[in-house]
Amino acid sequence: MKPANKIALETHDLTVTYHKRPVLYGIDVAIPSGSLVGIVGPNGAGKSTFIKSVMGVVPSSGGWVKVFGKPMRENLPRVGYVPQRESVDWDFPVTVMDVALMGTYGGLGLLRRPGKAEKRRASEALEKVGMLPYSNRQIGNLSGGQQQRVFLARALAQDSDLYLMDEPFVGVDAATESAIVTLLREMRERGKTVLVVHHDLQSAGEYFDHLLLLNMRLVAFGAVKDVYTPELLQKTYGGRLTILSEVADQAAKL
Amino acid sequence: MKTLEYITLPWDVLGLGALWLILMAFFVALPCSQMGSFLILRRMALTGDAISHSVFPGVVIAFFITRDLASPWLIVGAGLAGLASTVIIELIHKWTRVKQDAATGISFTALFALGVVLMELLLGKNVDLDLECVLHGRLGLLLEEDRVLLFGSLVPIPVLVMAGVAVFTMLLLGLFYRVMMLSSFDADLAASYGYRPAVIHYGMMFVVSFIVVAAFQAVGAILVIALLILPGAAAYLCTYRLKVMLAIAALHSLISAVGGLYLHVWFNSNMAASVVVCGGILFLLAWLLGPVDGVVWKWFKDEPPALEESSDNAGNS
Amino acid sequence: MFEDVSVLASVLDILIPGNGSGKAIMAAVLLGASCGLLGCFVVLRRVALMGDAVSHAVLPGVVAGLIYSAERSPGVIFLFAAAAGLLGAGLVRLMMFSTRLKSDAALGIVLATFFAFGIMWQSRNQQDTVGVMNFLFGNIGSIDASDLRMMLVTTLILVVTMFFLRRPLLMMSFDEGFSRGLGYPVKILDGVFYFLLTFSVVVALQAVGVVLVSAMLITPAAAAYLLTDRFERMLLLSVVFGVTSGITGGLVSAEVNGLPTGPVIALSATMLFVIIYLLAPRHGVLSKVMRTFRRRMRVRRENMLKAIYQIHEGEGFAHEEVSVMMLARKRGQTEEKVNKDCRALLSRGFIEMAEDGVSLHLSRLGWKRAMEIVRNHRLWELYLTNEADYAEDHVHEDAEKIEHILEPGIVRQLEQHLDFPELDPHGKPIPQPAHLVAQPSAALS
Repeated sequence: MKPANKIALETHDLTVTYHKRPVLYGIDVAIPSGSLVGIVGPNGAGKSTFIKSVMGVVPSSGGWVKVFGKPMRENLPRVGYVPQRESVDWDFPVTVMDVALMGTYGGLGLLRRPGKAEKRRASEALEKVGMLPYSNRQIGNLSGGQQQRVFLARALAQDSDLYLMDEPFVGVDAATESAIVTLLREMRERGKTVLVVHHDLQSAGEYFDHLLLLNMRLVAFGAVKDVYTPELLQKTYGGRLTILSEVADQAAKL
Repeated sequence: MKTLEYITLPWDVLGLGALWLILMAFFVALPCSQMGSFLILRRMALTGDAISHSVFPGVVIAFFITRDLASPWLIVGAGLAGLASTVIIELIHKWTRVKQDAATGISFTALFALGVVLMELLLGKNVDLDLECVLHGRLGLLLEEDRVLLFGSLVPIPVLVMAGVAVFTMLLLGLFYRVMMLSSFDADLAASYGYRPAVIHYGMMFVVSFIVVAAFQAVGAILVIALLILPGAAAYLCTYRLKVMLAIAALHSLISAVGGLYLHVWFNSNMAASVVVCGGILFLLAWLLGPVDGVVWKWFKDEPPALEESSDNAGNS
Repeated sequence: MFEDVSVLASVLDILIPGNGSGKAIMAAVLLGASCGLLGCFVVLRRVALMGDAVSHAVLPGVVAGLIYSAERSPGVIFLFAAAAGLLGAGLVRLMMFSTRLKSDAALGIVLATFFAFGIMWQSRNQQDTVGVMNFLFGNIGSIDASDLRMMLVTTLILVVTMFFLRRPLLMMSFDEGFSRGLGYPVKILDGVFYFLLTFSVVVALQAVGVVLVSAMLITPAAAAYLLTDRFERMLLLSVVFGVTSGITGGLVSAEVNGLPTGPVIALSATMLFVIIYLLAPRHGVLSKVMRTFRRRMRVRRENMLKAIYQIHEGEGFAHEEVSVMMLARKRGQTEEKVNKDCRALLSRGFIEMAEDGVSLHLSRLGWKRAMEIVRNHRLWELYLTNEADYAEDHVHEDAEKIEHILEPGIVRQLEQHLDFPELDPHGKPIPQPAHLVAQPSAALS
């Protein structure tokens, strides 16, 4: 756990095209380690796409990504990923403990099986989110908030330095929401860097210390006090980029 | 006949042959049940069906050249045909507005039709590979196959070959269990660990094609899908734990093999079809009485039949 | 009531041809009509694999019909087959509704168990079910007058039902939620759809066979889908393709002894599909490839025009002519390549060659187009830099691509948005092609 590099995540000219339609345009950003960053923008702005392309889940058509100074591929274990809840198959036959254990798989390679150390890490992570009593429950049998906590536990068990979370606050109850925020802050205290795709502009100003304003391209990145301003928010959400999306649609039709 | 005679009938009629039939059916069904369970979890159940239809022309051509049903070239031919079908499906739905389900249908029906035509034209009235074989395989003819002396008894060769296939598949599964589980549950996380989805997908398709070719000779092109899906589906309704599900699926294949033999002997019906029908009966039992999803328990608990209606838009309205 | 039906049936008898090939053609027409019509819905609703499951599920019904009707009455067979198909469809829905199983698993289960049951039953009653192969792989030659009568009645029912229900069915296929909102009885319509699907399977049974009938429900309709954007035309084309495949398949398989007709009909349908896949005017692959090629050629030509303009600009528009050598240097290409591209520009009237053959100048048309491209490029760069806060070192590549596709409407929007700018982010002037007069240099100051 050594944030040896001051910059946790750096992208340069990150461009993503989906079915020939440009979704992200040349994103240049450098995120200092130890920050708690909220990614905000209107629907269809490419927030999830940004995270997925950083992870390499979605291929980029240009630009590069560096994690702690090295290309993503070489530093995979240092990145933890929490996907959107709706992309999960909740009928899958796994228990809460199984999911938490998945967080430990990264370091195991093909042949080694999860042992005592891994089980301990998973249990501790579950304990931290208050889900240890539910270890043997099948994941479909949980409420929305509980499901989210299990996935957080999985991320914690990964013991990474950089976390990318895709809309973790969607559809959770108030208690879970504040529990998640507390957890995020605690992770920051421990030197982790966390990027969170967030859907609610109001709370974004309170929960995070940095904001990444995104709408197909980077509008602004910086401390909340510098960036959470009416002008910049208007630029992000204001829809003045209709020409950009029109041209993007044109490009897609080719 | 008295009840006891019903139970001993297979052994009375077939002697040790009953054992070979059961073992053959089990060795075919076991790898299918394991891979098929993952196909179900990945919502790719019908891909197995498509593969079993698509590999047929490859098998016909390979058989035409080698004239030997046990030749490894059949697997090569099948693999190539399977690859061709994947390419065709992609060519159709990636390059035009025809969607994937229709593209799959066009591809595997065309390949299968091609296989039947080639079979009739190239092979003519061949006993080893004909329309009957396509429909229900040669499981029932096992006892007429060549045998080899092993541990003091004459074992039909296909049983040994199939045992090898089964062992090989189980070894692969043991090695890659975590990878398969993770990529089936959360492909993005698996990708973030470096397990690339495309590689896993094609790897799985390859293994399924391999198993399908072996199963095809036993139960024919159309019933393979039963061996792939029925065990896993029944097990899915019985448990919430993946390892238990795989174990139950294996048990299902064993019981289907035994039950299929009995049906075959009692009703003098086709062996492969009997195994499948037995599997279907077991599935019905799981549907009604399965601990996790059984309809009877849910009816008693007065719950709505499912938490929410299946929200996928593939293949239903 | 039965007298009416038999009177109706014997009225229909006049439609039934006397000779063998006439019967085969009629069978093909009927199968093409029913599967072609239903197939359009199957393709649009993305339920191709449901069609496959239903068609395999009818086998036990066929077997029952063969066993329980002494004279192999087509009515009995069709009835049992339809019942089995409907039962299968119903079980699929029930399975999905009552368990966590998804559609693909449910379809596969029904498909395989019903089919296996049919095979098992048939193997028990080998004598009674002679001729089951005709129903499995198709044998158009085995279709006699009574079969045709049954097929005709079924097809008529299908066509009439579809005619009256075509709008609700289409609406439901497109947007089920909306249809529900309109008050359509969606569940009933869905049930009707599966009825029709089963009927079309039953009509095609003897010609194509259980195993391959789903091909006739998918391939002709998919081919039609690639040829038209209008639903009525799709229906018509699908029927035409289905009939053609049926006739072709029937004829070809008649040539070879012992070849079942089902596979040959399916292959004919596939070949039709392949032809259309390649050659369809808008959606066909070859036309798409041509369009991409033509666009690439246009982009190359326009880049050449841009290069000529930039050379002129670099010289302050001092000279009239530009030499091929300079162009080659500017574009980083060989002189032969430049000459080739210039010939394309020449033939379209964008440039004129000088007598010495090594220099050229832009025609009026060429100037206009060159200025438009450069203007588009610089306007887009300005837009990205100002409005989109795009980093400066990235804008150029994007503009290289976009300059060729900006339409006049968007260009006007850009100009208004940026307040009719004169300079681009690098300080270069933005050309005004509208002011182009006989003297190009005047427009550029």
